[in-house]
Amino acid sequence: MMRPIVEMKNVTKEFHGVAALRDVSFDLAPGEVHALLGENGAGKSTLTKIMAGVYEVTAGQLVIDGEPQSFKTPAEALQKGIAMVFQETSLVPSLTVAQNLYLGNEKFLNRLRGIYISAQQFLQSLNFGVDPTMFVSQLGAAQKQMVEIARAVHHKAKVIIFDEPTATLTPEEKHHFFALIRRLKKDGVSIIFISHALEEALAISDRITVLRDGQHVITDLAKNFDRDKIINAMVGRALSGELYGKDARKRTPRPYGQKILSVQNLSMGRMVRNTSFSVYSGQITGIFGLIGSGRTETAKIISGVVKRDFFHGGEVKLEGRSVRYRVPRKAVKDGIVYVTEDRKIEGFFETKSIAENIYLNLLSADLNKTGVVVSYSEMMDLAREWTGKLNVKAINSDARVVELSGGNQQKVVIARALVQKPKLVIFDEPTRGVDVGAIAELHQVINSLADAGLAVVVISSYLPEVMNLADRVLVSRQGRVVEEFAMEEATEEKIMYAAVH
Amino acid sequence: MDDRSKPQSVLRHLNQEKIVFILTIVLFILFSIILPNFLAANNILSLIRSVAVLGILGLGMLIVVLGRGIDLSLVATMAISVAWSLQLMSNGMSVASAMTVGLAFAVGMSLITGVLIAYAEIPSLFATLAMATFVYGFGRAHLITGTDVVYLPPNIGWLAQLGQGHVAGIPMPIIVAAGLALIVFLFLRYTKPGRFIYAMGDNFFTARTGGVPVRPILVMQYVLAGGIAFIAGIVTSTSAQAMNTRVVNSNMIYDVILVVVLGGVGLSGGRGNVRNVIVGTLLIGVLMNGMTIMDIQYTVQNVIKSLILLLAIVVDSILNPRDEQTGQQGDI
Repeated sequence: MMRPIVEMKNVTKEFHGVAALRDVSFDLAPGEVHALLGENGAGKSTLTKIMAGVYEVTAGQLVIDGEPQSFKTPAEALQKGIAMVFQETSLVPSLTVAQNLYLGNEKFLNRLRGIYISAQQFLQSLNFGVDPTMFVSQLGAAQKQMVEIARAVHHKAKVIIFDEPTATLTPEEKHHFFALIRRLKKDGVSIIFISHALEEALAISDRITVLRDGQHVITDLAKNFDRDKIINAMVGRALSGELYGKDARKRTPRPYGQKILSVQNLSMGRMVRNTSFSVYSGQITGIFGLIGSGRTETAKIISGVVKRDFFHGGEVKLEGRSVRYRVPRKAVKDGIVYVTEDRKIEGFFETKSIAENIYLNLLSADLNKTGVVVSYSEMMDLAREWTGKLNVKAINSDARVVELSGGNQQKVVIARALVQKPKLVIFDEPTRGVDVGAIAELHQVINSLADAGLAVVVISSYLPEVMNLADRVLVSRQGRVVEEFAMEEATEEKIMYAAVH
Repeated sequence: MDDRSKPQSVLRHLNQEKIVFILTIVLFILFSIILPNFLAANNILSLIRSVAVLGILGLGMLIVVLGRGIDLSLVATMAISVAWSLQLMSNGMSVASAMTVGLAFAVGMSLITGVLIAYAEIPSLFATLAMATFVYGFGRAHLITGTDVVYLPPNIGWLAQLGQGHVAGIPMPIIVAAGLALIVFLFLRYTKPGRFIYAMGDNFFTARTGGVPVRPILVMQYVLAGGIAFIAGIVTSTSAQAMNTRVVNSNMIYDVILVVVLGGVGLSGGRGNVRNVIVGTLLIGVLMNGMTIMDIQYTVQNVIKSLILLLAIVVDSILNPRDEQTGQQGDI
C-alpha cells in the first residue's frame, strides 16, 4: 500500500477536559476519496479541523507525508497542502470572486485587471462557470462552493476537506460537484468528504470511516458497505449506556392530551418547506433531525422570534385559533415559550444576577404582582423558589449568570421560561454544552412538565435523548417533518433512516 | 481564581466610577489649595450651576445609552423646541400654550426618531444624526424667524424663576437637575420599563425572546430623552436670558456624551446608573471651573477634558480586564 498522505495516530482532542475525540486513528491515501460519517457531535468536524490546523491535538500524532506535524494555524496547514472548505463559507462577501481567490497573495500594489484575467483563466481551467468580476455576495450557494474549491485548488492543495458540501446544493449543482470531485481525484488530489447523505458517500467515495461519540468505529472500502451497515455503525451505542439506561425503553408513553398546536404547510425561505405537524398537551413531542433540517427555524416561527411570511408562510393554529406573531411578546402572552439552543447569544442577561434574570421574564410576561412597579422582595422570593426547584448551584444568588457552569446556566434559562406559565414549551437542544449530571436533572425537569399537563416539544440532534424523553417522535429532514413514530414502534435505526436521505 | 484575585482585591473594587470620583475629590482639594477663590460659596454654587444643564442632558442620554442606543439630536431638540416656544411667547401666545407647543414639538420629533429606530430598525446613530440636522434646519427655516438668538420675552413671568430663582440660597437649575436625577433614578430602578431598558441594553435578543415589548420601550426611551431635553432648554434659556440656537453647532453634544461615559456608563448598554452621570458631571464641573479661574484657553480645556476621559477608560480597562473565564464564548 502507498504511504498515506495524512495519517493520524491515536489522536485525542479535549475541550476543557471533555473529550471530543478519543484515541482515533485515521489515514488518507493519495488520490483517494474518503468519506467521514457519523451523527452530529460524533467528532467528524473536530477530526478534520485538526488536519486543517484549526485545532491542535491534546494527545497523539498528526503525520503529513511521513513527517510528524503540529499546525498552529490554518495557514500552516495550507502551506503543507491541506485545505478545508468550511460548512459556513469563509469568503469575503463584499469582494469579487477574483479578489477572493487571490486574497492574501496580493502584491503591495494590486492590479484588478491582472487578477481578473488570471482568475478567468484559472476558473476556466477548472471548468467553473463563475464570472471572476462578480461580488461573492451575489453568488448562489453552489457558486460560492466553487470559489471555495477553486481557492483550495489554487493553493495547490494536495488534500481538500469538504465539510457537508452538498447540504445547500440543488440536485443539478450536486451533479456538477461530483464531476469536479472525480476530476480532482484524477489529478491526484486526496479528498475527505463529510456528509450526512449516505447514498452520496456510497456513490463517490473509495473508503468510508464511521465515527461515533468521538471514537473510531470502522474504516473499510466503500464497496463493502451498504446503507444498513453504515447506520448500524452510526447508532450502535455503548458509551452512552450509563446515562440513557435500558429501562427508558420499557416506560409507557403518555397518552395524547388536547391538541394545542397545529402547524400546517409552514414555509420560510429555504430552511422550512411546507412542514405540517401537531403538538398535544400532557406529552413530550420529540423532533429529531440533522443540523440544517429546519427544526430551529420552525420553532422560531411558532414562537414569533422570526416573523411568518403572511402570504406563503402557511398557518399556525394555537388551540384552534390561527395565530401569526410579528414579535415574541404576543406568543409569550399566549403561553408559547421558546428555550433557545444558543443561550450565550439569546438565552440570558450576562451582567445580571440569577434573580434578576428570572424576575425579568416574569415582568415581561406581566405576571408580577406589583404592576408597573418592580418589587425586589418578590424577585428574591422567585429566585429562591426556582433555584430550589431546579437545583441551580451558585456561590450566592448575586452571582452573575455568565459565571455559572453550562448546566446551571441552562437551568436558569429554563427557569426563565417556566416563570411565564406557558402552555407550550419548546426546548431547542436543551442539553447542549451541559455536563452529564445536569443532563439527568434537566431530563427530569422536562418529564415533570409533561406530567403536569403541559405540551412539551424537545428538539434534539441526539438520538438517545429523543428516545429517552419523547412520547412520540417527529423526524425532520430538509425543512419538513417527514415521518412520525409512536414510541412503541420507534427504534434508533428507523429514526435515523428517516432523517438521512 | 480566588488566589489570583486576593492580592489585588482592594484595586479590584475600583471601577471607572470610583476612579472618576476620587479624581474629582483630588482635583477639588488641589484647586481649593492653589486657587484662592475656589472654595468661596458663590463659586461652588456657580460651579454646579454651570454644569446643571449638562447633567440634565446627561440624564436623557443615560436613558438612551443604557438601552444600547445613542441620541445625537438632544441638543438640537433642546435648542429648537425652546427657541420656538420663546418666539411664540414674544408673538403674544400665552406662556402655558407656548410651552405646551414647545414640549409637543420636542416629544413629537423624538417620537419620530423612536419610531424610525424601533420599527424601521435604523441604527440609532444614523437616525438621531439625521434627525438632529432635520430639527435644526427645519426650525431655523420655518419656526424661528429672524436672528438665531431668541431672547426671553418680557411676558414670561414665573417661568424665568426656573433659571434665575433660588430656594434657600440654592439656584433653581441645581434643584431642577437634582429633582430630575431623583425621578430618573426611581424610574430606572423601580419601574418595569426601567428594568426593561437595562435588559435590552444587556442582551436585546434575550429581552425580545423573553417577551419584553422592545419596540414600545425603544420609542419611550427617545421620547423621554426629548422631554428631558426640553426641560434642559428651559433652564438654559431662562438662566442665560436667551436661547442661542447656534449651540447646536457647538460640540455640546460631545460634552453630554462625555459626562455619561466618564462616569462609567457603558456605551455598549446595560451598565450604569444615575450616580455615574452625577459623578461624571461633577468632575467636568470642577475641571471647567478650576480651569476657567486659572484662565486656561478653551481649546486647551478641551485637550485636558479628553485626556481625562482617556485616562479613566484606560485605568478601568487595566483594573477590570475582561475575564478570560467568563468572557469566553465556548469552543465546541
